[in-house]
Amino acid sequence: MIKLIEKIEGEAKLNFSFEKGLIDFVEIEFLSTRNIEKILQNKNALDALVITPRVCGICNHAHLMASVQALESCYEELELSNRAKITRELTLNFEIIHNHFKWFYLTIMPLMGYKQYLLKATQPSQLMAKAIATIAGQYPHTSYSIIGGVVSDIGMMDLIKVENYIDKTLKFFEQNLVHAKSDEFLECNNSNKLLSKEGDLPNLVNKIKDNGWSNVGKSYDRFIAFGENSYFKKGKSIKTRLTTNIYIDKVQEASNINSYAKNVLYKERYYEVGPLSRAMINKTPLIKDAHRKYGDSILSRILARVCEIPQLLNHSKKLIKQLDLSEPSYIKPKIDISDITALGSSAIEASRGFSKSDDRIREYSISRTEL
Amino acid sequence: MLSKKLKILWLTAITCNGNTHSFLNYPHLDIFMDTFEFIYHPSIDSAYTLNDIINKEIACDILIIEGSISTEYIKADAPIVDIINKYASKVQKIVTVGTCASFGGMFRESDYKDTTGLHFDKERPTSLFEHIKEKTISLSGCPVHPDIIANTLYSIEKKRAIELDSLLRPKEFFAYTVHNGCTRNEYFEYKIDNHQFGKKEGCMFYDHGCHAPYTHGSCNKILWNEVNSKTRTGLSCMGCTEPTFPKGDFFHTKKNMGIPQYLPFGVAKRTYLTLAGITKAFHIKRLEEDLFDD
Amino acid sequence: MSIKRADKKKEKKELIMQKALELFASKGFYSTTIPDIALSLKMSVGNIYNYFKSKDILAKEIIKYISIYLGNKLKDINEKDISTQEKTRQIVEVYFGVALLKPEMIDYFLRIYLSNREVFQDGCEGMICVNEFVTEIMIYFEEGVECGDLRDQDFFSAFGLFMGYLGGMVFLKGENILPKKIDEYVDDISINIYKALRT
Repeated sequence: MIKLIEKIEGEAKLNFSFEKGLIDFVEIEFLSTRNIEKILQNKNALDALVITPRVCGICNHAHLMASVQALESCYEELELSNRAKITRELTLNFEIIHNHFKWFYLTIMPLMGYKQYLLKATQPSQLMAKAIATIAGQYPHTSYSIIGGVVSDIGMMDLIKVENYIDKTLKFFEQNLVHAKSDEFLECNNSNKLLSKEGDLPNLVNKIKDNGWSNVGKSYDRFIAFGENSYFKKGKSIKTRLTTNIYIDKVQEASNINSYAKNVLYKERYYEVGPLSRAMINKTPLIKDAHRKYGDSILSRILARVCEIPQLLNHSKKLIKQLDLSEPSYIKPKIDISDITALGSSAIEASRGFSKSDDRIREYSISRTEL
Repeated sequence: MLSKKLKILWLTAITCNGNTHSFLNYPHLDIFMDTFEFIYHPSIDSAYTLNDIINKEIACDILIIEGSISTEYIKADAPIVDIINKYASKVQKIVTVGTCASFGGMFRESDYKDTTGLHFDKERPTSLFEHIKEKTISLSGCPVHPDIIANTLYSIEKKRAIELDSLLRPKEFFAYTVHNGCTRNEYFEYKIDNHQFGKKEGCMFYDHGCHAPYTHGSCNKILWNEVNSKTRTGLSCMGCTEPTFPKGDFFHTKKNMGIPQYLPFGVAKRTYLTLAGITKAFHIKRLEEDLFDD
Repeated sequence: MSIKRADKKKEKKELIMQKALELFASKGFYSTTIPDIALSLKMSVGNIYNYFKSKDILAKEIIKYISIYLGNKLKDINEKDISTQEKTRQIVEVYFGVALLKPEMIDYFLRIYLSNREVFQDGCEGMICVNEFVTEIMIYFEEGVECGDLRDQDFFSAFGLFMGYLGGMVFLKGENILPKKIDEYVDDISINIYKALRT
C-alpha cells in the first residue's frame, strides 16, 4: 500500500508491506530534491553561507551554522571570540525552539485528532523569530554568521529585548503546554507527575496512552548526536548504554534507489537522531523516566521534543549572562578562505536531527538525518 | 451556506518553503484567517488533501505559487504545470511568492529541466504561462516579507488596483531600494569606506558586497520581524528580490580599479564619481570613529 | 539675471582667467598682482574684483576652469565607441595638445596648483577642484578594467603612472629639454602607458 504524506516541506510516499495483517516494513520515498550540493559547486566558499540555508525554510539557521563551521574547520588556526560562539548558539537555540512549537501545534496535535491551533504555533514561534532577527537581522534566511564570528554588534539594550522574548516564550509555554512553572518542569524527573498536570502536552500524551498507542513508533532504540555545544553533548546511546567516543567520519551515506533522500548510518547501523537522542545522551531525568516506561516510542519522542523548549530557553538565559559585549563579535581570519584548499566538516544539532556538512571548496555534501 | 472568505490555493513547486515560514511570521494571522481560507497550504490545515486538489474541481479565488517551476517536476503524480494551468484559469489572481516562483531564483540551477519562474527566467520573459500573465502579481524575495504577501492578498480581496512594475511587482513595496532606511546611510553618504564586520559602524557597499543601493525592496522601510533588517545588523544585502539572484560572489564588492562595478540605481557613473571624489576629500571625524566614542 | 547677461559675465570671467594664466606663466604666480591683470585687460581693478573677490578665489576658479576644460575633452573621448588603446592615445593627444596650444594652462597646473598647496588648502581639499578631470580618468580606468583591457589594480597606482608620466613630459618641455615638439611624443608615450596598464 502506498500512502502520500503531505505537508512536510514537500511530500513523501510511504510504501507499506504487510505480514499477517500487521505492518512489516515501511519504505519512505522522497519524491524531489533541491540539489543544493549541485548549486554550490564551483561557487566561492563564502557563497555557501547564502546558498546552503536555502535548503530548508524551517531549519535554515542550522544549515548556516553547519556551513560556517565546516568552512572554519578548513583552517589550521582560527580565532573565534566567546561572544561569537555564544551568539551563534543563542540564535540556533531560538530556531530549534520555534520549530518545536510549530511541530507540536501544526503537525503532531492534528495528527492525533486535535484541531490545529495555528495561533498557538505562530505566537511563540514569532517571538523566537524576533529574537533571532534582533541579532541576525531577519528570520528566515540570514547569513549573519561568517568565518571568524558574526557580523552583528548588538548592544545591551538589544540583549534585554532578546531576554524579554525568551521570558514571553517561557510564559507561553507555562500557560499552554504545561500549566506549571518552568522551574518545576525542568526539575521534574517523573513523567507521571507531568501527565497529571493540565496543558496541551499532558492532554496529548494522555490521549495517546488512552488510545493504546504508547508503544507506537518504536524503532531500534539506538540514539546518536554529533553536534556538540554548551548544551548538547556528543555521543551514542544504545538503549541507555552511553558511549561518548564517536567519530563523524564513521557516518556513512548510502544512496537509496527508491528515494532522493540518502540513508545515513553510523558504523553500518541505523540510529535515531533528534530531541529524544539528545535527551538520552544528556541523560535528561524526565526523558530517562519516559524511556524507562515507554521505550523509544512516539510518547517519549514527543515529550523529549517539547521538553527541549524550556530547557533551551533556560539555557539561553544562562548564555546571555555569560555574554561579554566588550569582546569582538568578529575576528578577521589571518588567511582568506580563497587561499585555502582543504576538506572541512561539521555537525550541528538541528530541530529534527543533525546536519553534517562536508566541505571541499569545490564540492559540498550535506547529509542530514531526520526523524 | 457558502463561506464568504476568499479561497486560496498555496501550491508549492521546487522550494525550500522559506516563504511559507516567512508568512507564518505575519503578526495578524488571526484576522487574516477571518477573511481568507486556504483550500490547501503546506502547513496550515485545509479542508482538502493534495489528491483532492489535483483530481477534483475545487473552487478557488487566488492561486499562490511558491518555488521554481519545471515541466519535469511532478507533485503527487501530477505535473506541476498541469496543476497550475488547472487553477490558473479559474482564479481571479495568481501570486508568485518568492524569487524562485517569480524569476527562477535559487533552484533555477537544480537538476530539473529548464527550471524558471512562472513568467520569467531571470529577466527574460518566458512563454509557457503567457496566457495567465495579466492575472499575475510577482512578490519576489528570498524569502518574501510576510507583510508583502498579506497586504497584496488583502488588496486583491478589497478589489484595489495594484500598480505593478515591469517585473509584475507591486510598486508600493518594490519601488524603494533596500538602501532606503538603512541605519548605516551616513557612512554611505560620506563615502566612508572603512567597514569591518562585527561593528555597528560603517557601510558594507564599498568592500563587502552590499547590493542594497541597487536592489528593489522595502526591507529597511517595513523591517523584518518588525524589529530589524540584515543591513542594519551588519550583514550585506544579497539582492534577493532581483531576477539575478543568486548573483554569487557575496560578501565582496566587485571593483574595477577601486570603483564599484554596480552603482546605485539611476545614478550615472559620472555623478557617482564626482560625488565620491568630493566627499573623499573631507574627513568627518565622527563618522571615522566608533559611534560610542566621546 | 537674464541669460544673455549671464553669458556675457561668464565670457568676461573666462577672459580674465585666460589673461591671468598668461601672466602667471610669464611673470610667476606670486609676482602677478590683480592690478597687473587689470592693466593688461584695460579694466579697472575694482571691476576685476566684481568678478573675483580675491586673488586666491581667482586661483581656485582657474583650476576649476582648467579641470572642466580638460574634463569635457576627456568626456568626449570616453563616450566614443573606440578601443581602450585608442582612448589612451587620444587622452595623451588631448593633454599634449593643450600643452602645446595653451601651455599656460598645463604650466599653471604643474607649477602653481601642485607647488603652492597653501593657496588651495581651503575649498580645494583633496582633489575636489580637479573633480571633472579626475572623474573622467576614473571612468577611463573603470571601463577599461570592466571590459578586460586594463589590469585591475589600485586606482592610485594607475593614476600615478598615467598622470606622473604626462606631467613629467610637460615639465621637461617647460624646461626646453625635449628635442622634438611635445605632440610628436604622443605615439610612444601612449603605447608605453597602454602596455603598462593593460592585462
